[in-house]
Amino acid sequence: MAYFIYPSAFDVIVVGGGHAGCEAALASAGMGMRTLLMTQDLDTIAQMSCNPSIGGLGKGQIVRELDALGGRMGRVADLSMLSAHMLNTSRGPAVRAPRAQCDKKLYQAAMKLALERAENLAVIQDEAESLWTEGSALKGVTTVRRTRYEARTVVLTTGTFLKGLIHIGQVSLRGGRYNHPPSDGLSPSLEALGFRLGRLKTGTPMRLNGRTIDLSKCSEQPPDDPPPLFSRFSVRPERKLLSCWITRTGPGSSAVINENLHRSPLYSGRIKSSGPRYCPSIEDKIVKFPHNPDHIIFLEPEGFDTEEYYVNGLSTSLPEEVQLELLRSVRGLEKARMIRAAYAIEYDFCPPDQLRLSLETRNVPGLFMAGQINGTTGYEEAAAQGLIAGINAARLVKGEEPLVLGRDEAYIGVMIDDLVSKGVDEPYRMFTARAEYRLLLRQDNADLRLMDRGLDLGLVPAVFRRNFERYKAAVERARKGGKPASEEADMAPWTSEEAETCARIGKEYSTYIDRAVRDASGMKDFERIRIPETMDPSGIKGLSAESSQRFRRVRPVTLAQAARIPGVTPADIQLLLVHLARLGGKD
Amino acid sequence: MLLPDAAQTIVAPASPAGRGAVALVRLSGPDSIRIASSFLSPSSVSGAPKPRFPYLLRAEDDGRLIDRTVTVFYRAPASYTGEDMVEISCHGSPYIVSTLLRLAIAGGARQAGPGEFTLRAFLHGKLDLAQAEGINDLIISEGEAAHRAAITQVEGGISERIRKMRGTLVDLLSELEVRLDDSYGEMRPLDAPSFLGRARAAAAGMKAMADSFEKGRRAKHGVRITIAGAPNSGKSSLLNRLLGSRRAIVSPIAGTTRDTIEAKTELGGFSVIFTDTAGIGTAPKGTLEREGMRRSLKAIGSSDIVLWVIDGSRKGSAADRRVESVLKRRIPPGAEMIKICNKSDLPPGRDREETAACQSISCRTGSGLKALKVRLLAEEKGFFTAEASSIVTSARHYSALLEAHRELSGLERLAAAGGVLPMELAAEHLKGALAALAAILGETTSQDILNNVFRNFCVGK
Repeated sequence: MAYFIYPSAFDVIVVGGGHAGCEAALASAGMGMRTLLMTQDLDTIAQMSCNPSIGGLGKGQIVRELDALGGRMGRVADLSMLSAHMLNTSRGPAVRAPRAQCDKKLYQAAMKLALERAENLAVIQDEAESLWTEGSALKGVTTVRRTRYEARTVVLTTGTFLKGLIHIGQVSLRGGRYNHPPSDGLSPSLEALGFRLGRLKTGTPMRLNGRTIDLSKCSEQPPDDPPPLFSRFSVRPERKLLSCWITRTGPGSSAVINENLHRSPLYSGRIKSSGPRYCPSIEDKIVKFPHNPDHIIFLEPEGFDTEEYYVNGLSTSLPEEVQLELLRSVRGLEKARMIRAAYAIEYDFCPPDQLRLSLETRNVPGLFMAGQINGTTGYEEAAAQGLIAGINAARLVKGEEPLVLGRDEAYIGVMIDDLVSKGVDEPYRMFTARAEYRLLLRQDNADLRLMDRGLDLGLVPAVFRRNFERYKAAVERARKGGKPASEEADMAPWTSEEAETCARIGKEYSTYIDRAVRDASGMKDFERIRIPETMDPSGIKGLSAESSQRFRRVRPVTLAQAARIPGVTPADIQLLLVHLARLGGKD
Repeated sequence: MLLPDAAQTIVAPASPAGRGAVALVRLSGPDSIRIASSFLSPSSVSGAPKPRFPYLLRAEDDGRLIDRTVTVFYRAPASYTGEDMVEISCHGSPYIVSTLLRLAIAGGARQAGPGEFTLRAFLHGKLDLAQAEGINDLIISEGEAAHRAAITQVEGGISERIRKMRGTLVDLLSELEVRLDDSYGEMRPLDAPSFLGRARAAAAGMKAMADSFEKGRRAKHGVRITIAGAPNSGKSSLLNRLLGSRRAIVSPIAGTTRDTIEAKTELGGFSVIFTDTAGIGTAPKGTLEREGMRRSLKAIGSSDIVLWVIDGSRKGSAADRRVESVLKRRIPPGAEMIKICNKSDLPPGRDREETAACQSISCRTGSGLKALKVRLLAEEKGFFTAEASSIVTSARHYSALLEAHRELSGLERLAAAGGVLPMELAAEHLKGALAALAAILGETTSQDILNNVFRNFCVGK
């Protein structure tokens, strides 16, 4: 059967309408590229399939960075916020971060509207079945309707849909999300192009009808007043925010889990792929921490116009009847009605050591990947990769160098370097502990670090440039102990108080920051030494076979990146340096 | 892994250990001049020197004169590495060189890794890659050997101890990190007294270990040469000849030397400890002789070189054969033995075959002594070259341990400031200390921390 060739060709096609896909499409369209976002279902655009929450430690900083680069997540989260907290307020400002609960439907609607209103962007409901290639050259995407869309670049953001398999107890259902069909064609298409695929697992807890929760037995967690915002460009929401509620597992919970462990697909061996250790299922927590008398549970409303509650802390893949029994053992949930069952999901991912730091694949020029397909977890991590992939797809079309953020510049830079240089063996989540320059990468200075780039890319509207310059000047003046000058008075949306706070934090940490800057600039020397792509690691005299393999797998582009590959020793780096000398190429 | 930190000032001897009359100690990095002026006086000169001009400066350790040096200061970028540099020329004694190293490290410098000066020169564009290649090739071969030596034999035990310290620091850091990344308030508050107690214990361990290096290095100065042989073969005469003084009583009576006699001297720039021993190979008579012989055996067992003296004017005796078998059993592995045929001024009493491999001397006339000294010197040079790796790594360890200790002192000061311990700053100090230890072990830590966080704690949505 012949293909229908879609009448217009695109510069960038984004496959998938999740958090990565939305940012990728908006970035590429915002940079003037003819962009197509293709999604299986327009009604699940930007769906928060798990917790309708944005931010958190490490993640909150990423959202601020996205905002500074012109991403959309922060604005949409502020708009749909139903509860919000600044975390770690008892600790230093370097490790504080905002987190918000969002109205799930409002979030989706706001993001869908942003896509629909974006210039240069087409959003079409269709499902990609394979990549359209001729030889090794990427031509576009072929869909299940046998339509072919032509494009110069493609960004894959497939989330948990590649051969998605849902587990509830011993029952397995095919699906990329509960009640949504998986995407089965893309995996073989990628394998045929020479990609290695792996399998990961994640899960989500049950949802409850809030009217059946006994909130009098739970403790209230009111929102911060005023709530922290993610975006420089947002205004405070006027509606009254909601509280979340806290309870704990009861003495009966462990017994329920332990008696039914053999019925968990995780423990019976049905699920073999790795899940995130830091987002463990309740059975994991009870098995691994038998001495903890109880475990904390947060009850979080999913929206203003719904009674649906998310049960944060009870992620599980145990059978439905055990889930019900488990709820009975939790204080305040004894009579709760479960309206959606918890489940685990397995899906294919494409190990990210096959990528360049631009998020373009090494195998297929023009093909980019972002989000869970790269082995990450979390909306924020996905959105950040989406933004970078979208930007770099656009830059590739324009014939420009890719945007690569440094580890000392942004959490986003840390994440992508980690993914590409180190690979993943479990879903990757951001932690502040992953950033060696944590004190530099604060939520309060994200715009100082990155907004010049956002402005230069054209993703932050140019009208903000003048006031951003004034804000930078005000921070600089405050750092030297001066008062803001009069011409800096109007620097909206920034304020002189913010400039002073930012300068004060910088000063408080100055000894440590100076050291971090020194360390970072020390590393810069090694970042400057480039490794030619044509270098054959087997030619490096004296290099062990293992390290040679490591270089071949990751294909580091700088000496510093080579040094970050796990298992690579200082001696390997010395040998590499000498080898580069023999090649005679210096950047 | 850890790349050498290019922001720090590094120090290393640029000349090989023990070779030549003059040695060169080199500093490179932003603090070179400040550090050098902390021990080169008058500091009025060394504090604000004219670049590329030789100064005659006194190197002092706490006011005590170590050596008079010729020192040249360089200002970046006009230097070999392209950074501020100081080159101190001193006398080529290992003691002086290592003291200068110690003073520089105490002043804030770090022992340079193999090839690091060249690496810096390369990074600052002072060498092109082709030039760097030749130099680097050379250094890497030495560096690798040094690295292996350090890990496998000499300091296997030390690595083990450092690994343990590192384990403690990783645990401590994990306790902070898991709380800093705890988005949902799941963790119990930090038990600060216990945390600080463990940090203090780790710091004390590092200090003790750093101190032991200093003692060890000082004790190490001097090659131990033991003079052994049958009674009345002329051991004490040889000692006196080598020292050029009448340190030991000599007499024709066999067994004049009852106790071991130690004498420290200098031989061609090396410091040497000669030990004259009581004759062995005959059955001891009485407690005194038995004790003397015990001490002789002990001295032999701890020597780097053994001089086996035989009396060339007499026929080989049963005593000689016993001496030979005793020496073969007692001599430590790796030590050299030189057989010396004394009394060459008298008519030979032995077969040519027996004395062919011997160093022939006469303590009475002094003939052959010069040749013996030359031979000893050759042995010592060999010894020092082979040992150089362990000296370097020791200094490296010393510097890393001091650095780690400094970081933990910083953590201690944070705690002493009162109030809640600022965990994100405490973590910076622990990371600094871990980086210093990682430089010794060449192992990464960040992944360990995350693994530990996941293994020991329960965080999550």
